Amino acid sequence: MSEEMVKIKGSGDGLQLNFAPGAAFADIEKELRRKLESGSGFFLRGTLVRIPRDVLTEEELTVLQKLFHAHGLICRRAAAPEAAAATKTTAARSAKKPVAQPAPAATAPPATQPPVQEMVVVNRTLRGGQEINTKSSVLVCGNVNPGAQIIAGGSIDIRGTCRGMVHAGAYGDTQAFVIADHLMPTQIRIADLIARSPDHMEKSDRAERASIKDGQIVIEPIER
Amino acid sequence: MSKIFVITSGKGGVGKTTTTANLGVGLAMRGKKVVLIDTDTGLRNLDLLLGLENRIMYDLIDVTEGRVPYKKALVRHKKYESLFLLPTSQVKDKMAVNPEQLVKLCDELKKEFEYILIDCPAGIEQGFKTAIAAADVAIVVTMPEISAVRDADKIIGELGRADKENIKLIVNRIRPQMVEAGDMLAMDDINDILSIDCIGQVPDDVKVVTSTNRGEPCITMDDSQAGQAYRNIVSRILGENVPFMTFEKEGFLARLKHVFGM
Repeated sequence: MSEEMVKIKGSGDGLQLNFAPGAAFADIEKELRRKLESGSGFFLRGTLVRIPRDVLTEEELTVLQKLFHAHGLICRRAAAPEAAAATKTTAARSAKKPVAQPAPAATAPPATQPPVQEMVVVNRTLRGGQEINTKSSVLVCGNVNPGAQIIAGGSIDIRGTCRGMVHAGAYGDTQAFVIADHLMPTQIRIADLIARSPDHMEKSDRAERASIKDGQIVIEPIER
Repeated sequence: MSKIFVITSGKGGVGKTTTTANLGVGLAMRGKKVVLIDTDTGLRNLDLLLGLENRIMYDLIDVTEGRVPYKKALVRHKKYESLFLLPTSQVKDKMAVNPEQLVKLCDELKKEFEYILIDCPAGIEQGFKTAIAAADVAIVVTMPEISAVRDADKIIGELGRADKENIKLIVNRIRPQMVEAGDMLAMDDINDILSIDCIGQVPDDVKVVTSTNRGEPCITMDDSQAGQAYRNIVSRILGENVPFMTFEKEGFLARLKHVFGM
């Protein structure tokens, strides 16, 4: 029965939660906590989680956001149905009780994503087979091992050695960059460009930064 | 306080079962009460390495399915009285045991044994998940070889996801000459990638093969270098008040290099 209390569905860029009608918030929270702590592969760090609009109060939303945040996930309210504009979503977010907010008028143009400001912080080493997939930027305090991959809408900063596959600006941001203490990835991708490592890679002894210059991925040493 | 270890690797053929057998015998030689559980259902080998194949009456599946109490399935080692083996079935497959059953069994075994060593199958599927379920400490065995290290890395990630944070590393089958010549991954390279606490470096030793075929783990041989390495690991495991801090990078390899006149 409790399985049905919270339904989780994969959507294009994250997870969509749905709550059973009439379920008490305390139960929902308990159920989500259990699922998150069960360590199922479903909740990868950096995953975007959308929760239904107009179901929870502002306080309840904050509780859930904190819960997801503690597990490294990004929690957002689901986009307004159909034609609601992104600007209206912001308006609704600042409202005290979203329930009381009338649905935004359908006159606004289709939603365009506002620039995302969040940064996902990964406080461990990413090992082979692990993946971060997010629209925001990523900060890794640890290594990125071979076989691991990071796909970020923004930039990627690795405070350690990068040996995995990194894709910055995965949604087209050509200004995105990748920084690592030792940058020796199998591949670097920035926006729609791909660079692979040389077949014989030397470990660099200074931090390096990869970015796009003149239509090419360029790697240069930096001070930090 | 009894401890449950799982010996795992991801990749096959790196020496999980050999390590389990040696550590089990080693702990028993030091007077500890030890039980070894083979969870490699369908491909069991641990009984062969201990030379106990012909003494098996019941197996792990009989116990988890409640047909016999675990005491009936335990096989006592012929030489070391405090060492027991709980063999698995050769005819069933990995789906025959689930994690809850193994946890329950280990809870019972804990009352009687000081050390429970679980031999994990290769791979990251059901068998692996079952084997690690009950463990307090995971010992990851790897070899100085890029594919073994890569798989060990994956396994460490999987262990982390299953909330197994106490992970130790054993690097097996090191060939010092090849490391010296730059033809084999050095310990530094391995530590660089895996960055977990290493409790043993075991050299490649032909005696491991002969001892395996004879059903007598090489830890009992005084003239075997691998045996010496395993004895060191056992000491490190027993020196648990200062858990695993006794590992010195110099110690063993330096002495080994000496033997080879390098």
